[in-house]
Formats: sequence, structure tokens, C-alpha cells
Amino acid sequence: MSRPLIYGGLLIAAGLVQEAWLARVEISGAILDPLLPIAVAVGILRGAESGAVVGLAGGLLQDLLSGGPLGVNGFTKLVVGFASGLFERSIYIENPLLPAVATFAGTLLSEILLFVIGQVTGLGLEGASTVLTRGLVQAVLNSAVAPFLFRGIRKIEVRLEQSR
Amino acid sequence: MTELLLARRRAAVFLVLVLLTLVLLSSQTRTADRRDAGLIGRAILTVLWPVQAGMVRMADGAAQTWQRFTEIGRLRVENARLRAEVEALNREVAQLREASAAVERLERLLALRAQVSYRSVAARVVGRDPARWYSTMVVDRGGRDGVRPGAPVVTPEGVVGRVIEVTPFASRVLLIADSRSAVGVLVQSTRDAAVVEGRNTAALHLKYLSRAAEIRRGDLLVTSGWGGVFPRGLVVGRITTVEREEGALLQEAEVEPAARLDRLEELLILLPRQ
Repeated sequence: MSRPLIYGGLLIAAGLVQEAWLARVEISGAILDPLLPIAVAVGILRGAESGAVVGLAGGLLQDLLSGGPLGVNGFTKLVVGFASGLFERSIYIENPLLPAVATFAGTLLSEILLFVIGQVTGLGLEGASTVLTRGLVQAVLNSAVAPFLFRGIRKIEVRLEQSR
Repeated sequence: MTELLLARRRAAVFLVLVLLTLVLLSSQTRTADRRDAGLIGRAILTVLWPVQAGMVRMADGAAQTWQRFTEIGRLRVENARLRAEVEALNREVAQLREASAAVERLERLLALRAQVSYRSVAARVVGRDPARWYSTMVVDRGGRDGVRPGAPVVTPEGVVGRVIEVTPFASRVLLIADSRSAVGVLVQSTRDAAVVEGRNTAALHLKYLSRAAEIRRGDLLVTSGWGGVFPRGLVVGRITTVEREEGALLQEAEVEPAARLDRLEELLILLPRQ
């Protein structure tokens, strides 16, 4: 099976799960966003370009399913996926804390970007303190699932390499 | 050199993607609804929405099941609370009924007190003789209240007995149902004199009544006042069974006491005139 197909399926499944199920469980305005840890994981494991592409695809899918303007999540996840890939060769990927820490930082970056986009486009009317609180909770939530998603994506990559 | 090329390519890809995304985003924000999914977007949604709807229905089902589950727990708690409330209210109702009955009894006692020409003191039953139910009982009035041995004890229904033992704060009453008790009576309708004795049973026994007396079931017996203990005219009981033996000079009868001797709570002790 080709890589785009597998990642496409994974992103669609994650996007649907988030919209249909995870959106029901809201903690301090934050909802678990599995697409972000996926973009971070792909960036770490496959590099900045792949991270950016997966992040952009996941973000656009999220925008499509959520009913908001296309490009908001696409842009933030593109940046986060790309930024994760910048450390591809300089970090020790066997470190068990890596997925959680990288996702935590990536989520905060994503929230800052969302805040900026919101201010620029006039879409975001929330205050900075609200965004900060929600961002921290969001970061914790995403970090909690990041190790599992990271392990899954790593298995996918190993399988794909073996099948070559 | 390769590294540099790779870095440049990476940066170029990133910039192109960012540029495209920003163009897309700015085009979105310029539309009226700030959203235009476009042909491709709508095609993707056409495929994904049914799947999403199915997943939402599954989540709804799970949420409803969970809601029912928690509802059961909540209903159990509420049920326990309501049961406790019902029990508390039942206790309160019982207490109020008890108080109401006591008020009723005391009102009747007061009415009797106003009727009799004797001085009297109201007393409450504080003990019964457990071995012989109908024999004696202890009341909460004694010598300090003016009670003296031999004082008649009555209720609004009728004669109860007489005081046989007095302490400063309590007295013992010998009931008319006790075998040691005898009360001089008159048949109210015929004015025939007789004596009512106790037999340690629920019923009393009428003795020494002339055979000539025409008594019937239901006739009322009142104290004669001749014995020096009970004042004249207090109701003792009603005749329930008449016993006439062949050749006997006297007739006897079973009498149902007017006072409910097994359910006494408050009563009146008549005190001697000063």
C-alpha cells in the first residue's frame, strides 16, 4: 500500500473521530486534536517536508469537516509539522518523552498561530488569557495521546520500509 | 552542497505551501460566509458526511446509554432520599396523631373534671402490672398532689378503680377488674342495687342482684355511692350476659367495663372534699 493512501486514511479516520466523538468531550474549551500529534510525529520521523504536507492535509480536512474557513488549521498544522521536522536529525528519537514534549510545544505554537490568525482575520474574538488557558489544556491533552500515535506511525513507517 | 540544496528545497516547499495556504485563507475570509469549500471540498464532504453521520449516531447511542445508566444511579439516590423523607413524614404524622389523640383525651378529661363536684387531679399512667394486666397500674401523681389511699380513679368513659398505695410522687391504682375490687352499683334503669366485682379478666361480674330485678343486656350500671369510696352516679359498665339459676334468690351478670382498662393513658383522681 502506498504511503499517501495510508496517511490519507489515517488523517481521515483521525479527523472523523475528532469531529464525531472527541468534540463531545470538551475540557476548558479544549478538545483533543489527534491530527496535530500525527503531523508532529511525521515531521520528526520523516522530515520537515513530509511533516508540512501531512500537517497541511490534516488541517485542511479539519477545516473542511468543522465548517470554518479553509486554511486556518491548514496553516497552523503546516507550520507545526514543518517545525517538527527541522529537528529531525538533531534529536534522539528513541527518547520516550520526545513525542509528548514535541507535541506539547507544537500545540502551543499552533495555539499562538491560531490566535494571530484570529486577530488578523477578525475571526477570533477571545482574549489572550482564555486562549492561553485553553492552549495549555489542549497541549496537555494532545501530549497525552502523542506517544501512542508516535508509536503507531513509527510502525507504519517500519512496515513501509520493509515492503520496499 | 547536497545539504544546502536540500535545505533550500525544503524552505522552498514550505514557502510555497504557506503561500498557497495564506491565499486560500484570504480568499475564504473575503467570501460572505467566510467559507467556500469549493468543488473538491464538497466532493470530499459528500463522501465523508455519511460516515461522519454514522459515527455521530453511534456516539449519540453511547451517550444515551450512558445517560440512562447515570439516570438509574441518580434515580436510586433520589428514591432512597424520598423513602427517607416518607419515613420521616410518617413518623411525624404518627407523632401528630398521637398528640392529637392525647389532646382529645385531655379535653374529655377536662370536661369530666368540670362535671364532677369533687376536686380532682389529672394523672398519667406510668406503669402497669405486667404479670396481671388488669389488676393494678401506677400513675404519676402522689401524696404531694393531694392523692390519698382510697381515692376514686375515673376516666370520661367510666370508673377505673381506686388508689391503694401512695408515695409522694406516684400512686398505685387497683382497677375494678382486679379480683380484690368490689364496687356498689345501681342498675340505672331499674335502680336495683348490686355489687360489681373484678375477676382478673376483661369482664366484670355483677353479684347480689335481686332475682326480681328485671335487667337486660345493655343496661347501664352506675356507682351507688354507698360504699364510701366512689361518688354516686359514675358509670361502671354495661350488662352483657344475664345469669339466672333455677331456684336461686339472686341473679348475676357479666359486665363490660365502661372504661377501656387495657388502654388507659390519662385519668382523673378524685380527691376528698376539704
